[in-house]
Amino acid sequence: MTDAAALSRPSGAGRYLGVLARYGIVWITVALFVLLAVTTDGFLTGPNLRNVLDQQATLLIAASVATLTMIAGGFDVSISAVAVAAPLVALRVENATGSVAVALLAGCAFGLAVGATNGAIVAFARINSFITTLATSFIVFGIGYVVSGRSIMRPSSDSFRAIARTRVAELTTATWISLAVVLVAWITLAGTRFGRHVYATGGNAEAARLAGVRTRQIVVAVFALSGLAAGLAGVVAASRTISATPSDDFSFVFGVIAAIVVGGTSIAGGTGAVWRTLLGAFFIAFMVNGFNLHQIDPIWQRIIQGLVILAAVAADAWSRARRS
Amino acid sequence: MAAPRPGEPAQVELTHIELREVSKRFGSTQAVDCVDIVIRRGCIHALVGENGAGKSTVGKIIAGVHTADSGAVIVNGRPCRFRSPRQAFAAGITIITQELALVPDRTVADNVFLGVESTRWGFVARRDTRRRFEALVEHTGIPIDPDASVGSLGVAEQQRVEILRAAARRSEFVIMDEPTARLSAQERDQLHLLVRSLRDHQITVLFISHFLDEVLDLADDITVMRDGRVVRNTRPSSETTGSLVEAMIGRQLQGSFPSRPPRPDQSQDPVLSVRGLVTACSGGLTPTGLAGESASAETPLVAGLDLDVFPGEIVGIAGLVGSGRTEFVRCVYGADRPVAGDVQVAGGGASRLQPHGSIGAGVGLIPESRKEQGLLMERSLRENIALPHLRQITRAGLVARRSENDLVSASAAGAGVRGGGLETPVRLLSGGNQQKALFARWLTPGLRVLIADEPTRGVDVGSKRSIYDLIAAAAGGGLAVLLVSSELEELVGLCHRVLVMREGRFVAEFAHPDLDETQILRHSFGEEATAGRSS
Repeated sequence: MTDAAALSRPSGAGRYLGVLARYGIVWITVALFVLLAVTTDGFLTGPNLRNVLDQQATLLIAASVATLTMIAGGFDVSISAVAVAAPLVALRVENATGSVAVALLAGCAFGLAVGATNGAIVAFARINSFITTLATSFIVFGIGYVVSGRSIMRPSSDSFRAIARTRVAELTTATWISLAVVLVAWITLAGTRFGRHVYATGGNAEAARLAGVRTRQIVVAVFALSGLAAGLAGVVAASRTISATPSDDFSFVFGVIAAIVVGGTSIAGGTGAVWRTLLGAFFIAFMVNGFNLHQIDPIWQRIIQGLVILAAVAADAWSRARRS
Repeated sequence: MAAPRPGEPAQVELTHIELREVSKRFGSTQAVDCVDIVIRRGCIHALVGENGAGKSTVGKIIAGVHTADSGAVIVNGRPCRFRSPRQAFAAGITIITQELALVPDRTVADNVFLGVESTRWGFVARRDTRRRFEALVEHTGIPIDPDASVGSLGVAEQQRVEILRAAARRSEFVIMDEPTARLSAQERDQLHLLVRSLRDHQITVLFISHFLDEVLDLADDITVMRDGRVVRNTRPSSETTGSLVEAMIGRQLQGSFPSRPPRPDQSQDPVLSVRGLVTACSGGLTPTGLAGESASAETPLVAGLDLDVFPGEIVGIAGLVGSGRTEFVRCVYGADRPVAGDVQVAGGGASRLQPHGSIGAGVGLIPESRKEQGLLMERSLRENIALPHLRQITRAGLVARRSENDLVSASAAGAGVRGGGLETPVRLLSGGNQQKALFARWLTPGLRVLIADEPTRGVDVGSKRSIYDLIAAAAGGGLAVLLVSSELEELVGLCHRVLVMREGRFVAEFAHPDLDETQILRHSFGEEATAGRSS
């Protein structure tokens, strides 16, 4: 059959290599886990692992949802600004109303509003999403200063800390919230019509549109969700530290993007998965945890982290080039 | 192929490039299998075969894009083993592929001299560049504005830039891979002239093509490939289109077209009616400017078109590239917004300005370019076929995988998609199977109107026939089909009715059995142009 001949099917060895490469992040994360379990005393203990989970909570909340944005072909750097400003909005509301629930809602609503605005600009004004969210980041950082009166904010009641720091079945609520968000994002992307449309929009927007996908709505929705998640992450972080400080700190989004990319979701859009981001986040977290347990100089930690991210992106680019 | 023996020195001079027992394997696929080809200097040597026959791979081996697993490539009597296009380049070999390798934002002259710029103290010497460019234009006879930005040029002009670039590097051997696949008939003729003038300048051309007529017309030698092997080395004088097709597919085609389903009763209500449709100048409306040809500046307005299509009817739209064919059907589908006019699908009263509305009304579009507008290349066959139908198979918010698999496997089997399971990413399928995947996407029970824009472009002969069968069978089942095609043979062989478009208007209409290629072509060009051509 000439049709079959036109297909370049990988041979036996090639197929195994393909599977090896495709699930690379799984093997590497497992290998690192085993390595650390064997080489250190402190790693494979309940308190240490629970601590890692707790520390990763805010990153996972933002990154699992931002995965959808990236798969849809968008790039949201406003996650940092939202995560800084949303808790300031939330605490302002908390200070005024005394209600933790209303404060939480206000923080999330703020994130949703910023995200929806980003999405609308990207979808309708057709401005590159990186530039759009970079610009709105400055605006949102500014809003943070305005809302807080340029000073650190604290909750009026101690119950604000309950959002993140209540213990349920040995794990903190921050951990539970993050796992819930990961699960919802995972199912939404892998199982729903919306998720299919997200892949289609990022894979080929014009083809998706001609197949009936309302690509603009999809773009607005993924940015709105990403903003919402960043707002939630910010409020959870503030609840952990029982305070929020206005700043211009972009670093949070870099951790988020690192987790997504190391997991194997392509920055070009169209392919990827939430479970990949979950593993990417834990791979980086285990690495940092291992460095600390082995008492490696934090300066070296940075350098090694950078190399790991480069390797992940290079692997993606390499597999992409091999296909074409 | 005899090695040059002493006493036969002429042989060495005549042969420019010789392949001896060249083989190349990709994974488990033997793409090229022990191929022997002798290419004579200063000749146009055509390489023909179905998709996947290995002809492009042969071209790429000569050009150093791929390296042969075994066998020898002998250039000017010397065995060469190119490991990169750069090395082949240095040996005077250039390849021009379908995906043109130009820098769109730079000018023509910049592109032509890219990598071989005239420089002085490290700066580009403008005057010298201009002088070299003029000399080149004079030498090759290709007139083109050196200051035009390459991105603003049409496909045909971009090809000329590539040819100039080859000339600027003093290439003696030019490989053209499917150069005419995306050209209009006029542009094709111009390219043929150009290829002949290359030969006149003693440049050898390896011409890879699907179009047998042009090969018979143009080539000095022909090599036919099938399944990675050379099945015949021949001359055009001893071949016909039929004999070449036979050699390519290894059997005789029993008629190229299926029998036409009966013409539907036109007294019933049309399933699709278009009234007074006016489109804006294209380019502004094609959101991503993907369709290079249709975005060219001279594309006319589609002005006030009416059309009725009846259930079970196959209506063809003929016309040159740029006549407004694609713009018309895109507006009918809702891919672009019309300036004025009305599109009604029987029963559906709601206005449909967007593709998702059209799909809801039972209209599907197979767009001009399957890679850029049709398929998600990285996603599976399953996801590509199911994409417009997800609403029907969503239960409690989640896509029901079992319903999806039922729908998709029935559809894929119905359209005869082969070459992988439902989870295969469509980029791994051959062109013919990718096109069939688009048919599988749309040929589902709810569809009432199918719009297909160049459904057989870049598809091998065998798949073409299957696509014709699909269209005929679907029309037999009551589907209305609107078929846009540049291949007149296909319109004449398949349609009940053909409308000819020129400059945004329907200028003629023919019905089976009065369909005639010459008549359609005459009206496509307009009378004046034909008079000149046919003389």
